[in-house]
Order: sequence, then C-alpha cells, then structure tokens
Amino acid sequence: MTVNGWTGNLLRVNLTDSTATVEDSLKYQDYIGGMGMGYRIIYDEVPLTTHPYDPASKFVMGTGPLTGSGVPCSGRMNISFLSSWSKGYSIIDAHMGGHIGPAMKYAGYDGMIVEGVAKSPVYIKIQDAEVTIEDASHLWGKGTFEANRMITEECGNGFESASIGQAGENLVNYSTLNTSFGNSAGAGIGAIMGSKNLKGIAVCGTGSVKVADAGKVKELSDYMMRDLVGGNNNHNVPALPQSWAEYSAVSGKNRWSGAPGRVWGKAEGGPIDTGEQPCGDINKIAYRCLKGVFDYGDVATNYIVKQGGCSSCPVRCYTQYDMDPLAEYDLPTHVSNTCMPMLYGQNFYPSGVKDFKYEGDAKVILNGASSHAQDDLGLWCNYGNLYREVQWVLSTEEGKSHIPEDEWNSLPWKWEKSCDPRWVVEIMRRIAYKEGELSVIGEGTIALAKKWGLGREYFDMVSKMNQNVTYNGYPKHHGAEDSGQVGLLFNLMYNRDCMVHHITNVTNSGAPHAVTKATMEGFFGSGCYDKMKSYTPMNRNKAKVAKWAFNGKQFHDSATLCNWMYPMTQSPSKARNYVGDLDLDAQYMTAVTGKNYTREDVEFDSERISQMLRAMTALSFNIHYESTNLRQDHDAIPAWMFDKDPDFKPFEEGTDKMDREDMELALDYFYEEMGWDIKTGIPTRKTLTKFGLTDMADALDARGILPA
Amino acid sequence: MSDETKKGLSGFLDSQMTRRQFLKISGKSIAGLTVSATMLSLFGCTQQQVDSSQIVTWAMPQGLLVVNAAKCTGCKRCEINCSLFNDQECSSYISRVKISRKLHIHGKDGLLMGNFNYSPDTCRQCEVPACGEACQKQAIFADEQGIKRVDPEKCIGCGDCVEACPWHMPTVNPATNKSGKCIACGACVQGCPTGALAVIPWDSVTAAAQEIVA
Repeated sequence: MTVNGWTGNLLRVNLTDSTATVEDSLKYQDYIGGMGMGYRIIYDEVPLTTHPYDPASKFVMGTGPLTGSGVPCSGRMNISFLSSWSKGYSIIDAHMGGHIGPAMKYAGYDGMIVEGVAKSPVYIKIQDAEVTIEDASHLWGKGTFEANRMITEECGNGFESASIGQAGENLVNYSTLNTSFGNSAGAGIGAIMGSKNLKGIAVCGTGSVKVADAGKVKELSDYMMRDLVGGNNNHNVPALPQSWAEYSAVSGKNRWSGAPGRVWGKAEGGPIDTGEQPCGDINKIAYRCLKGVFDYGDVATNYIVKQGGCSSCPVRCYTQYDMDPLAEYDLPTHVSNTCMPMLYGQNFYPSGVKDFKYEGDAKVILNGASSHAQDDLGLWCNYGNLYREVQWVLSTEEGKSHIPEDEWNSLPWKWEKSCDPRWVVEIMRRIAYKEGELSVIGEGTIALAKKWGLGREYFDMVSKMNQNVTYNGYPKHHGAEDSGQVGLLFNLMYNRDCMVHHITNVTNSGAPHAVTKATMEGFFGSGCYDKMKSYTPMNRNKAKVAKWAFNGKQFHDSATLCNWMYPMTQSPSKARNYVGDLDLDAQYMTAVTGKNYTREDVEFDSERISQMLRAMTALSFNIHYESTNLRQDHDAIPAWMFDKDPDFKPFEEGTDKMDREDMELALDYFYEEMGWDIKTGIPTRKTLTKFGLTDMADALDARGILPA
Repeated sequence: MSDETKKGLSGFLDSQMTRRQFLKISGKSIAGLTVSATMLSLFGCTQQQVDSSQIVTWAMPQGLLVVNAAKCTGCKRCEINCSLFNDQECSSYISRVKISRKLHIHGKDGLLMGNFNYSPDTCRQCEVPACGEACQKQAIFADEQGIKRVDPEKCIGCGDCVEACPWHMPTVNPATNKSGKCIACGACVQGCPTGALAVIPWDSVTAAAQEIVA
C-alpha cells in the first residue's frame, strides 16, 4: 500500500550499542507528526523524572506529512526532549529550518529517536536505508560552520548536515543544533546531544515524498503564492507604497520591506533592485522580504549579497551579507541569520557604538559579528534573555555586583570602549566555554536567579531588560502588545518562549486596523481582536482566538509548516478584501496524504497535542515541585506586565499594561475553552479521554492532581 | 570562447536574433558580450552581471532560458516543481534541475565555503547530446520540437547517460530504475520566486532585436 505524506518509517538510533533500527511511524498519525509524535514518544519512553542529560534521556527529531511535500514553507523539523533549564524540566521543543527536515523525508524517515550515550564523539550518517555511526573525534571542539563543512565534505555534496558547537559539547544549557547557514534549533538541544557525545547528523535522501494528488499540491501551492502569501511573517501589504497596491504599511515599516530603489547591494555582478512585487506574481515574491532593511534601515543594503532561507519557502527571510569591515578583525565577513541573533549585538557595548564604513552601520556590523559567533559556538539566546542578562550585568551596578572583580578586570574592555566586534565574540565565547561567573547566564534565567539570589522581584521588575512572561525562565515571544489578553494567554502555556506567530503576524502586518479587524472578526466574531495598545476587556471570542492560535502552532510544528508564515490569515489581494484562507492547512493535508481532512479535523488533532503538553507539564511540576496547581505555579504572570506605564490605566489608549482581575477572567475563559479545571488549569479526565489520552489522565490521577 | 567569437557575437546580439544563432552560445556564460539595454531589460539583468559571469543562456524550443546566478536564493522551488510536475512526487534527487547539490559545498563555492555563490544547474538541451550518444538502448530521442526525452520503455536504468553528461544532469530514479532528464516543461521557471530562472519567448527576443535594428 502506498503511503502518502508520511514515509511510514521511524528511525531509532541507540548510541550506546551503535545500532539503528526502523519502526512503524504510522501509529503516530493521530499525532500528526513532528511535535505531536515527539511528545507521544517522549511520554511513552522517558519517565518525566529523568534528568535531561542522563543516559536514559532521549530526543526525537520529527518531521510531518507536509515536510518536503513541496508545499511552500514546509522545510522545518521539530525536536522534542525534556528541558534542562526551564522551571519544571518538562517537555519542550526545538525547531530548525534550513533543508535537513525534507532531507530526512527523502531518506525515508518521518523522524528519528536518539537514545543512549556514545563512548566517544560520533555523528550519525543517514544515506537512505544505510545508517551508520561515524567517528567525530576530529570534529569535537570545532564550531558548527567548520563541523558542518567537514561533515558535508566527508559525506558528499548531496548531504545535509547539522552540528552542535562548543556550547553543546560543554553542556551549556543555552545551546543549539545548527544547520545550513544560521538555521538553528535551540532550547538546549545542543547540550542534550553533547551529553550523548553526538556532534551532529548528516542526511542524504535519494527518495521522495509521495503525495496523493501532485496536481492539487501544485495548484494549492500556486494559489498560496499567487493570492495569499505576503512578505515575511505574512505581512500582507508592502512597507512602502507600490503602484499596484492600495495600501502600504501605516508606519512605513514592516517585513515586506523590498521596494524600488532598495537593493541587494553586494550581489555578484552588481546591485539587484528588489523593485515592485505585485500580488499574483510568483516570480517576484522573494524580493518582498528584505530583512536587513527591516532590521537596520537602508544602510544594510550596502552589505547585502542576496536573501536566503529554508527549503521550499518563497519568502526569503535570511539576509545573506558580506560585511567586509569584519575582515579587519579577522572575523568571517559572510554572515546570515534572521531575527534575534541579528538584533542585540550593540547592547553588549554600554560605552556606545560607532559606525564602521557607512553612517548608521554600527548595528549591522556588530550584529554580524555577534550572530556568526553565536551560531558558530552553537549558543542559544532564549529569545533574547541571554542578551538582556548580559546587558543587565554590563550596564547596571546590581548586575555587575555578581561578577568577581578579577573576572571583571579580565574582560578585554579596550575592545568594548573602541567598539571592536571581537568584544561581543569574546563574551559569547566565555559563556559557551563556561568561563567565569558571567557564564552562569548560559545556564538559564532560573539557574541565574537562584545562584545570584535574585528572587521573584527579578522577574517582576519594570525594565527593558526584563521580558519574562512567567516565573519559569523564558520571555514573551511577542505578547500582550498583540491584541491584549489573546497575545499573552498562549505565551503562558509552554515550557519555553511560545513561538506562536498567529496574532503578531496580523497585528504587525501593516494593513489598516479596520481591514485586519474585519478579517479577524469575520473568522472569530465581534470583539475578538484589538488594536495595538488600545485593548478592551476580556470576552469569549478572544478566548476562542487564543485557543485557535495555541492549537494552530502545534499543527505547524507537527505537519510541519513554518508558523512565521502560516496560517494564511490575511492576503495581499484587494479582490479578496485582504482576507486569507484558514482552510488551506486542511486542504494541504488532504492533497498530500489522500485522507480527507477538514479544518475541524486538523484543529482536533492539533488540540490533542496541546492537551499532551498540558498534562505532561502538570506531571513535571508535581514531580519537581509537588505542585498541584498550574494556574498558580506555571501560569503566574510577573508584576511588570501590570505595573508598567505608570501614567496609564489598563484599557487606556496608548498602553498594553494589563489588568490583574481581567487577566484572571481571561484565564478562566481560556481554561474553559480548553476543557481544563478552572481552579488548577489541569485538563479533566473528560477532556483527556476525548482526545484518547486516558493514560495521561490515569497518570495525573495516580499523582492526585487529576481535577475532580 | 575566443575573443574573435565574442567580438562577432557582440554584434550579433544587437542585430539578427534567431534560435539557431543562440544555439552557438547556448550553455556558456555570455561574459564578454556587450548586450543592448533592451535585451538586458528583457533578460532581467545588467551588463555588469553579464560581465561577471552571472548570466548563462540556453536556447530552448519555446524560448531563451536565462539563468541569473546572482538572483538564486536556494529555495529549491525549481526542484519541487520539477518533480511534482514530472514525477507526481516531491524530491530533490530526481529533479531535472539541480540546486541541492550546489547549495552547501561545490568546489570553492557554497553556503559553507564562506560565500553565498550558488545557483541551479539546468539541462543544456545539447544539439548533440552526450547522454543520448552514450545510451546503449537508444532510449534518449529528440521529439518533434528537438527536445531530448527518455523513452521509459527502452531505458534500462544503467546510468550511462548520467556518466556521459558532463554535468551529470540526467538522474536514474532509484525507485523506478528509469532515467529522467529535462523535457523543457518550464515548471521550474514558473515556480522560481526571484526569476533567477526565466524563459524569454523567441518572439520577444526577436522583437527586441528588431527594435534595436530599427
């Protein structure tokens, strides 16, 4: 029988006895793939009492039925494991783009379970059916760029690779697995692999992803690219006016930043103008996202070679630079990343920064150095907490007080004062090598707060250096600024930053508020959506939107699709009234797998994953803290979100300061939507049974925390 | 390309434009040629890109295929469209246009070689195809438009065509044991989000040339 979408195979690699076996993956179809499959396997095979670095710990690399199917933005892979750094040490995921996810599918696997510990450094080589454990002793100690280059050279041109850096080898909790160029999975997967002596993986697949209806897959893909997709984060109007477009971004700035006159200034053979990119023209989509200009302004174009990104995605969000000023410091000049590692390099310089070659290029160059060093070391930032905590140490008396004087004086301050890019590289290096007290930052916000005796007030302080969204050790990943309670609710639900982009993509799309509001209310009813910094009290429709976003993200990390791009809530098409298509995810599933999926089917399977996340979190919190109440112990919101903007009251125009009572009501409504006990926020037996998770209900019951 | 040939072709590009004449330079970088502004506009490139070897053209039955290396962003939508259209499944390996093998490391270039030089390899649609010449079963034939195709009935999957092609463009599908090669269907071009791959219809090429002559 031909299986479509899924390969039907799950690889299990045991590093202790150097074996690789293949199992049936189709039993996980109800869990979609990726994240859902990973949660089920971790729950079944790794007791939640296990220390993440213990030999009994495992991780699951999971793709899904859409990965590598040709559907746009289907290049991602999910990795599930137990957290080493966030409160509760519960289930978390890391995610990576690049090209390695589809390669796994083409090699014939929906995922890979890795267990045991190798005696010496190794990497896993997957060439279709042939899976071998290769010596990696010559790679140990190398940065991820060099390790990936060496692995690819050893294995051959057709291989994709992913490697950990020195941070993972040194068991730094903030560590990544890096692939392609600047694509990384974070959340501590580097150290999980390091604890297993596993330097990396190499994958080459000569096979294919079978699809039920190739014509339909292409038709839907073309439809998405022609009528639905916008720029990066699916921003649906261009930043600047274009002759074909009715609207451009209200603020003049969004992630659809390509425009006439804005160029890939360092392209081979001379500048390439990104020009106009009309809705409907598939052959110009990749000029829409000019991320460098979004991040730094027009000065960035002086260093842009081209845009890059992940397999299958027409929106290229990784600006690829040649920053020649870095050569003077013996640092690599070709750098690329998107988002966080490219944004905070300048914050490492409390004395201030100066430009290098063009007016305003200090941020560009310092972030180039910073992001490349971070990716090379395989160091994770915890969505910016690393940068904020370094800044707190370097720029406040209280922060500085935690660093011994000798260590403080050993820092190369002359580099800081002269705005030398090697300063930020050296700070990163010390953290990745666990050198000195400063490197406590790399152990995580919870470990730092405990070791330095910071207490709850550290999480409560009103400061740009504090973005902690709970007391669990991770910041908001967008938040209340995006439709008030809606944006905040799903931020509270995970055991890391939430990585949900459903709402921020709409809020920051650049389209007039009246247009986005009409779209959202058309889907979810009146009052479901608020203007930024002008939000209204909680209501039931907002809870429905929060639930849709929470479950929807699970689908994207399971199917897999990029949640920075999906769902297609909005559209750049005037003919569509700028309304997207929320049925598209289900239509992809049907065309690829041949099984008939409705939007309700997709949402049901996705909610199953949300319920597993919640049940496993409740169990972990009970195991490690004897907690019987997630509402109180997991979902608590730090005071800064209620105390910020002292000149404003909640619900006033101009603030996203939250109201305590109103947020309690928001949690009530959200728990009710999810079928959780209002008092404890723990799923009821009825809810878990509905999703076939009776074993998890039994486990909660056995620990005495199943709601009555 | 000799200097003399280049000199001759510079004039040629500004005057008569026929597929036959384009075939003479098909598959080669057109570096060294002076291309008219109208033609550059049609190709979607600049003289500087021509001069720095970023532009390669291929004479195809339905038009001139222009590959602009500087515009390639490595998204693989060309490979995806190729395999979905021709094989009804999605794959990099059996795609008839090749970017995956050039993305990370190829010689001195690639993402992991300290530069961002990568662009797809395309079938040259050679007039005298090495792949067809090498086929012991005469399975590679030219159709009525001159496109070289593989006859799956005759193909035994020996891989001689793959070896014979200097760029190893044909690929034997491990699942079917049949070779596949480009049939100039244009699916890759249709899906390229930067226009790094573009087909310019012959009538447009000719019209541009005539405009210059006039």
